[in-house]
Amino acid sequence: MKRAPAAAAALLLAALPAAAGCEGSGRDPGTVKVVYQDFGAFRAADAIMRTVKEEFEAANEGVTVELHPVEAPAEDYQTQVNLMNRSASEAPDILYEDSFTINQDVEAGYLHPLDEFWESWEDADQYSEQADAAVTARDGSRYGVMLGTDTRGLWYNRTLLEQAGVEVPWEPEDWDAVLDAARAVQEEFGDEVTAFNLFGGTPAGEVSSMQGFQMLLTGTPDRLYDEEAGMWVAGSQGFTDALEFYDTVYSEGLSLDTRDMLNASAPTLNLEERMPQGEMAISLDGSWATQTWIEGGASPWPEWEEEMAFTAMPTQDGSAPGATSLSGGWTLAMGAQTADPGLAWEVMAMALNKENATEFAVRGAQIPVRADVAESEEYQERSPIVPEADELVEVTHFRPAYGEYPRVSQAVQQATESVLLGDATPEEAAAAYDRELEEIVGADQVTGG
Amino acid sequence: MGEGAQGRPGGARAARGARSRGAGRHPLLPSPAARVAPIAPAAALLLAFFAAPVVWTLWASFTDAALTGPGAARTEFVGLANFERLATDPAVLNATVLTAVFLIGSGIVGQTVLGMLLALLMQGRSPWVRSAVGGIVVGAWVLPEVVAGFVWAAFLEREGTLNRVLDALGAPQQSWLTTVPILAVVLANAWKGTAFSMMAYSAALSEVPGELKDAARVDGAGTAAVVRHVVLPLLRRTVAATLLLVTLQTVQVFTLIYVMTAGGPAGRSTTLPLLMYTEALRMGDIAYGTTVALALLAVAGLFSAVYLRTLRPEEVR
Amino acid sequence: MKPWTVASPRRAAAAAVVHALLALLAAAFALPALWLVAAFDSEAASRARLPRAPTLDNFATVATPDTLFVPLANSLWMCGGAALVTVAASVLAAYPLSRFQLRFGRPFLYTVLFATGLPVTAIMVPVYSLFSRVGMVDSRWGVMLFLAAAGMPFGIWLTKSFLDGIPVELEEAAWADGASARQSLLRVVVPLALPGLSVVGVFTLVLAWGNFFVPFVLLQTPERLPAAVRIYTFFGQYGSMDYGPLAAYSVLYTLPVVLLYAAVARLLGGGFSLGGAMKG
Repeated sequence: MKRAPAAAAALLLAALPAAAGCEGSGRDPGTVKVVYQDFGAFRAADAIMRTVKEEFEAANEGVTVELHPVEAPAEDYQTQVNLMNRSASEAPDILYEDSFTINQDVEAGYLHPLDEFWESWEDADQYSEQADAAVTARDGSRYGVMLGTDTRGLWYNRTLLEQAGVEVPWEPEDWDAVLDAARAVQEEFGDEVTAFNLFGGTPAGEVSSMQGFQMLLTGTPDRLYDEEAGMWVAGSQGFTDALEFYDTVYSEGLSLDTRDMLNASAPTLNLEERMPQGEMAISLDGSWATQTWIEGGASPWPEWEEEMAFTAMPTQDGSAPGATSLSGGWTLAMGAQTADPGLAWEVMAMALNKENATEFAVRGAQIPVRADVAESEEYQERSPIVPEADELVEVTHFRPAYGEYPRVSQAVQQATESVLLGDATPEEAAAAYDRELEEIVGADQVTGG
Repeated sequence: MGEGAQGRPGGARAARGARSRGAGRHPLLPSPAARVAPIAPAAALLLAFFAAPVVWTLWASFTDAALTGPGAARTEFVGLANFERLATDPAVLNATVLTAVFLIGSGIVGQTVLGMLLALLMQGRSPWVRSAVGGIVVGAWVLPEVVAGFVWAAFLEREGTLNRVLDALGAPQQSWLTTVPILAVVLANAWKGTAFSMMAYSAALSEVPGELKDAARVDGAGTAAVVRHVVLPLLRRTVAATLLLVTLQTVQVFTLIYVMTAGGPAGRSTTLPLLMYTEALRMGDIAYGTTVALALLAVAGLFSAVYLRTLRPEEVR
Repeated sequence: MKPWTVASPRRAAAAAVVHALLALLAAAFALPALWLVAAFDSEAASRARLPRAPTLDNFATVATPDTLFVPLANSLWMCGGAALVTVAASVLAAYPLSRFQLRFGRPFLYTVLFATGLPVTAIMVPVYSLFSRVGMVDSRWGVMLFLAAAGMPFGIWLTKSFLDGIPVELEEAAWADGASARQSLLRVVVPLALPGLSVVGVFTLVLAWGNFFVPFVLLQTPERLPAAVRIYTFFGQYGSMDYGPLAAYSVLYTLPVVLLYAAVARLLGGGFSLGGAMKG
């Protein structure tokens, strides 16, 4: 009684620093740990990784491919992966990584450069230059390989638009044309149908920033980040105009009720319920929307091909190139802590091969980045991507993928939220954003509009 | 309620006696080291899982530690930069005010007043009444936080029960979670936490000697006066200790608010724990997040100091 | 000691008022939870109503190993284990704190208690680092120990005041009979403190049972997640709230702690008491 607990405590305390000392030695060189998101409608990564595990282990005796699907929404997934990356023993060997986080993870020392493998990889020439740019960090090295990309634009319900007297196929030439169509729908259906969904607010997170605000801003001459000056932009006219557009849409009640919009599930609910049930006429959303509706999707809707159509989001006043889009893209990257980079690369290469890339593109409704996949018969037959979305690759934009971006994006979301709630005028919200931006990136990194 | 306590009459007094006499007289644990030894397992667990992380938290608030980006690779000291930012950040001010509102509304007014009221009302009622009412109140407390969040989100929904009831009464309906989110989470937390205060006060009330109250009543004091001048002063220590615990629990409520409103809309229910979560884990800015956590401790410490001062001046040690 | 009543000469009238007030309060407390009847409703919605077509389908929907049974078993072992560890460590720690004038006794108690005011979210990052260094990330043991530590401050505090209530004379009698320190603790103190210790155990269990954030951060493998996290990921990932199954899951997930609470309350004689614990 006297000794036992004290001894146990001493043991426990002694064990902590001892274990800390042998940090990193716990990694088993024969095990490749793969971390990816597996959540909601997105099951594509899990599907291909299971195949890879089975095939790779069968072909390489003694090697274990350890799968770590993370069941969490994108932001929580990011947090979990960051926590793992911080720890030498938990860090993944291969991770499913959003291309815009590559720079910050490279700065953090979490990623292993892939140049040496890439140069000798026979499939490397299948990838477009655009895909190269997205995975190359500021230090000039390549840190990931794109799995697929996407575009954004206007999904609309043919029947509803026709009934509202809008000519179909619908090709709005500027912002006003979008608003006019939305107003026509509102006139016809009143409260029964959401005329025009425009994502905004912090609950939907990056969705509001990318599918919402930046789809407007890139249609103006202004940007969030001035690539030439290498500085973030404050006080631009385009920024205020984009917020004006929000103000118009929300004050006229064209979009969702604010409380429905300020619900983290709004993007999912739109795709799974409001659109299939004919309660939403137009929505500014992603090209992958169809992954929800295809057979085996979260909410199968075989009629989507007749009901829904996709058209480009016009620029503000229709000026060249007439349309705009944003693209993201997820990659496979290699963890810096990996014990055997060669082995990890072999697993990666298998996950990225033509067969798996095709499966990923089809299941995840992604636009393929491999030329041989895009051209393959199987992809063209099975792909739920509509050609109009595919074509937007020509005019698309990418987010400024710098370390500060996530915080800047959060400030953008806050600006849209205060406008759609009527808390601030577009000018006030833009001014608040400017102050926040200076706080985030520092006054010396900000340029006037 | 309170039978357990009554089973050991004069518990506290006996203990004080035991302690003073026991000092130096335990024949089997004579040495100071042997006396302290049994504390070791608890101390080890607390040191490892609380003390070490808290020390790290303090350290991190003076650095640029981050989940990713340069701060993750080479964490550097930044002096008081995080605290300077804290002082000027409107989001922090907003969250501090909301935390105080949440604490006063749900912890002090809600849980403490309701808990005391319930305890007073239930004194001397039949066992049947006490277990029925007590059972319902305690039921809310036993409910896991996530479930409580879902229950209240459903309750306050546009189509939810509360609006139905208000409608039936002819009162205006609201979409509570967006128009008055802080009130919504205050109500939910008061609902969930009242049982704890009720149990504490019930136990304490059952130990108030009946003769004292009888004497007061002979002097002609009414019920309210007896409660005010005889019962409550005797409960001072219990009230102070309970308030302290309730405060420490309330200021760190996270899951309930997260499930119900996630801090929104536009930060109108973002209390300090939610702000800290956003900064440290969502934005990956651990250093600033931990600084916000220290602000939270300051708020809790401030309230605790006030209780200890006002409620037990005779025992300042 | 007879419980004091709010009686007055107009006893009956006062009692009626008190009963009316109690009924009102009880109704107010019951109202939000009424929604849980949606578990039996085939057309469940967010508002509470009597099911038009009562059904058990919602329970059948969630009662799969993957969704319910494995997570519940995980909860049971992590939270139950945490409660046992907390009780054992608390009784050991509280004994000297209660029996001896330790110089650091009070400061120790206050420090420990105050540290619990730091939100768990704040220390999760260092805790994760610590866990990864000792290889306890994604380990149910690790979560169990952490939950035990989280319950410890309050556990020690409560246990100490329960032990304060046990006269030292009883122990002295045991020593006189030649009992060792361990024997007197196990055979005299623990049995007498058992009601109090079960209160500590239930408290720890209830708090751990509802804890979402700790396992959410520290566990990764879906098969190891407790019900608190499973309910969140399961219902959070499909946009629309499926109210029927959600309510059914809530009921099944809550049931074990309610039953345990009821059982302990019954054993303690119809009440669940904090005793003199809250005297500070």
